[in-house]
Amino acid sequence: MRAALLLSILASPALAGVDEAVDQHLLPGVQSFAEAAEALARTAADDCTAGAVRPALQPVWDAWVAIGDLRIGPTEAGALSIAFWPDERGAGARALKAMIASEDQAGRDPAAFADVSAAARGLPALDLLLGDPDLSGYAAGSYTCDLVRTVATDLAAQAEALSENWTTEAQALTTAGEGSNAAYLSDDEAFRAIYTQILSGLEFTADTRLGRPLGDADRPRPTRAEAWRSGRPLPNALGSVEASVHTAELLAGAPLPKTEAALDQVRRAGAAIRDPSFQDIEDPTARLKVEILQQRIRALLDIVEAEVGSPRGLQPGFNSRDGD
Amino acid sequence: MRLLPLAAGTALAMSLAHAVAAATPAEVIETYGDIAVAAYGDSLTAARDLQAAVYAFLAAPSAEGLDAARTAWIAARAPYQQTEVFRFGNPVVDDWEGKVNSWPLDEGLIDYVDESYGGATDENELAALNVIANPQLTIAGRDVDATRITPELIADTLDQADGIESNVARGYHAVEFLLWGQDLNGHAPGAGNRPWTDFATGADCTNGNCDRRADYLKAATDLLVEDLGWMAAQWAEGGSAREVVAANPQAGLGAVLKGMGSLSYGELAGERMRLGLMLNDPEEEQDCFSDNTYNSHYYDGLGIQNVYLGRYVRIDGSTVEGPGLRDLVAAADPALDGEITAKLDATMAALGALKAAGDGGLSYDTMLEAGNAKGEELIMAGVDALVDQTHSFERAIGALGLEAVAFEGSDSLDSPDAVFQ
Repeated sequence: MRAALLLSILASPALAGVDEAVDQHLLPGVQSFAEAAEALARTAADDCTAGAVRPALQPVWDAWVAIGDLRIGPTEAGALSIAFWPDERGAGARALKAMIASEDQAGRDPAAFADVSAAARGLPALDLLLGDPDLSGYAAGSYTCDLVRTVATDLAAQAEALSENWTTEAQALTTAGEGSNAAYLSDDEAFRAIYTQILSGLEFTADTRLGRPLGDADRPRPTRAEAWRSGRPLPNALGSVEASVHTAELLAGAPLPKTEAALDQVRRAGAAIRDPSFQDIEDPTARLKVEILQQRIRALLDIVEAEVGSPRGLQPGFNSRDGD
Repeated sequence: MRLLPLAAGTALAMSLAHAVAAATPAEVIETYGDIAVAAYGDSLTAARDLQAAVYAFLAAPSAEGLDAARTAWIAARAPYQQTEVFRFGNPVVDDWEGKVNSWPLDEGLIDYVDESYGGATDENELAALNVIANPQLTIAGRDVDATRITPELIADTLDQADGIESNVARGYHAVEFLLWGQDLNGHAPGAGNRPWTDFATGADCTNGNCDRRADYLKAATDLLVEDLGWMAAQWAEGGSAREVVAANPQAGLGAVLKGMGSLSYGELAGERMRLGLMLNDPEEEQDCFSDNTYNSHYYDGLGIQNVYLGRYVRIDGSTVEGPGLRDLVAAADPALDGEITAKLDATMAALGALKAAGDGGLSYDTMLEAGNAKGEELIMAGVDALVDQTHSFERAIGALGLEAVAFEGSDSLDSPDAVFQ
């Protein structure tokens, strides 16, 4: 009985909101990211020392987490060399240290740098080079200073390319079901593609952004937090959640009161956390607060499913983070 | 009732595409389970062959004996990789899989490594623990007596030590490391080149602790056989893994497609293929010690196709077949069945080209090298085909009405307020 009812809903054509999510969230978001990355590259061009570049890195992270979990279209592959994380085997640090030790020419040549390991590029590379005490003390004119400039230039070029490539993907998403569109054969497919990313982004934040540093109760892992050297673990988690909810509201094309209420709980849990880098979570009280944030995000995820997906008979599709 | 028997008057529609018998979800799940029994059974058989080769080698170490064990290991991978499609949708398989096929590993946990490997890392204090050289260990502040290397020590203490995933002490890749050693050729051709004398007795022993190394190889191989035996039993009629999908065949179909899609996209195309290419790291390949990765990718892809078509060719050459997912899809939407079979063929052509290149001597770590256009093309053709077929699997979920079924019993649907405390 219920199955029959849902099938009839599935068949209904009205899945508005794809255009709104694309035009009001994704496209302006990738544009802002490109602008922030460009500003970072200009800053580094003027002065590549860590103290000078660090402040310009924060707005790039903010802009990235607003769109970075929507891993469809050009972001799906692009994210790997913009924000390769988690880096469980330390591939980025290993590659960067090897480049510094040998003064690899690719570190002074943005075009050649585009071919180095994805783990050594983008935001995590800057987190390490600008934040690691052993690496960040470099002087102006040093190899590492040039390397920082190269990473920033490469990041700006990646962001620019991402923004350009999104024009094509936006076209595909907003013309779903039209004859010439081979990527999305129906509105449902475009809707589901974005919906899947909303859920997988929330899941990634709860399970990985927070789950990795939380570790086990008796063995928290503060240095497994994302970009902890740059103070990003909490702002990245909250920024990503805000972006997911904003996208969900646009996609649903209607107010989502329960989702809003759950988001408010997430914000409160975030406000209670003292160290945005999570470096205090070996203290049980501090760890508990991060765990509460994780629970609130999981609750929000369930509510988004109930409020956005279920009424349309939708389950999330496959996503690029499905592996183990 | 969505699938009407032929007698009900749909013969015309059914004659359009693939010859469609009146397959039911229960029959399709039955074939699925039969393929699983056969493929895990073959994996067990091939692992026993490996075990016999390892025993023979250790009884009288020689270069030929090591070669025979390596050949048996490579043969053992072919059926096992065809079982990976049974992962992702089935908790019985998912909870177990890490015991046999975890990757990547910090191999310095197990044995000696080259200086270039480095020592402990930020992520893993035990990355260079070297159990074979150290009978007394400290793991996460606890003293461990590793005087005797047994399957129990490996399973209960070493594997995933300190809660770290890359502390892989068991399974195919631990055995692979012991048979081949590190591949120190970088992007150049050539696999690991461990000398057989690493297992020699007395004065012939190289790199020290040959007796402990032999104990480790034997224990890890025994454990692999035991683990595969357990899983093969879970797929017999009434077994726990089979029950997951058979209890409600229509819901089981959702698990079947979840396995196909998750393996295609996130795992194989993403984690194993594209990521390795983007990291340009010669060890970012699944069978990195043996350079057998191209075969492992190929048989993963074949496993996905097997499940869709309802057909598996066993290692003895016999065939297991019956109504497959394709029969249900063809009945619901013949055009979609055509799309999926064509995309599966395209994937196998792309993975076949990769395999042919590998068999022809272009090693996978060479393909991964930055700037190797031919290698990148071969790998990306596989990635693109795998991603493409996943989109069609999503369409099959819709065509078979599986979303609605999967929602049955879901908290968020049955009582949306229940999840909102």
